[in-house]
Amino acid sequence: MQAPDASMDLLRQLREEAVDPDYARAASDGRATRNPGAMSAIALVIAGALFATALVSTTRSKPLVTSERAQLMGYIREAEARQDQLRTDQAALRAQVDTIQKQALGGSASLPALSTTVAIASGAVPVTGPGVVIVVDDAAASASVDGRVLDQDLAQLVNGLWAAGAEAVAVNGHRITTRTAIREAGSAITVDYRSLDRPYRVEAIGDPRKLPADFTATTGGSWWAYLNRNYGLAFDLQTSDALTLPADPGLGLTVATRAR
Amino acid sequence: MIAILGLLLGVAVGIWLSPTLPAVLQPYLPIMIVAAMDALFGATRAYLDHTFSDKVFVVSFISNVTIAALIVWIGDQIGVGSQLSTAVIVVLGIRIFTNAAAIRRKVIHA
Repeated sequence: MQAPDASMDLLRQLREEAVDPDYARAASDGRATRNPGAMSAIALVIAGALFATALVSTTRSKPLVTSERAQLMGYIREAEARQDQLRTDQAALRAQVDTIQKQALGGSASLPALSTTVAIASGAVPVTGPGVVIVVDDAAASASVDGRVLDQDLAQLVNGLWAAGAEAVAVNGHRITTRTAIREAGSAITVDYRSLDRPYRVEAIGDPRKLPADFTATTGGSWWAYLNRNYGLAFDLQTSDALTLPADPGLGLTVATRAR
Repeated sequence: MIAILGLLLGVAVGIWLSPTLPAVLQPYLPIMIVAAMDALFGATRAYLDHTFSDKVFVVSFISNVTIAALIVWIGDQIGVGSQLSTAVIVVLGIRIFTNAAAIRRKVIHA
């Protein structure tokens, strides 16, 4: 017949034979030395050395990891500063190109005006005007993904503003154009491949009297009303008399012909 | 006495020389240490029971350390290295706790 605790045999055995049974056998044979001798001392030296080696290698690798991390962060900051510098340079060159373009078009009466309209619509020049400022943020005291603003939430918001008749939109100071991507990288939202910090401030230039109401009627408006009601995401819309949105520096020139 | 001296000497030598283990052995060092601790606690308990034997200790120490590293090494070769190291640590951990409790009862009678 099987013992009732047969399935627990391993654990029982572990507890009962915690000391190597050979010790008892050696003692009953009279081979027990009672006190540790030279052989034991050597084994103990090895044990101590093992322990110390592990200790040393663990403490040695820790500062290495932190210094590596700091170095990486330094690289990132350097690259970001460089990118900012390049963007500034590009904006200056862009302004130069605009001036030259205007000069080249000087002969025609309608072309400069058309050029300006196109430049505003495409986000090639900074614009100012009245509009609305919408500040959205993650839900308060929510650690779960449900309470976070996602890239598609922001995209819905921006699309809703376009649909409501906004003439220019910027998120956290990054102008949104036809060539701006709102995406998610890791856990951060990126606009134009630049990661954003919370809260997200969406500025839109348009008629401040019509824009809020029209936005509510769009898909983006109902999307955000739903998020606000059900997940507690912060949504704050305010009108503003004067907004200044920067140009999109990522707008490269791809097709150009020489002016005659 | 000689045991504690040996252990301290080992620690001092390890810190002083800080030998770099070959990279192949590096992942098995923690498991080897747990196995060594098991042998040490077993030996201490046997010593307090007056059944300590030099030969048994040395053999159990070397075989414990070697087998623990070997099991995890085989586990690594067949892709269950982390699971097997958990198994080794659980088994040795139970033994260490059992022995430590027995030693505590012997030393302070509580």
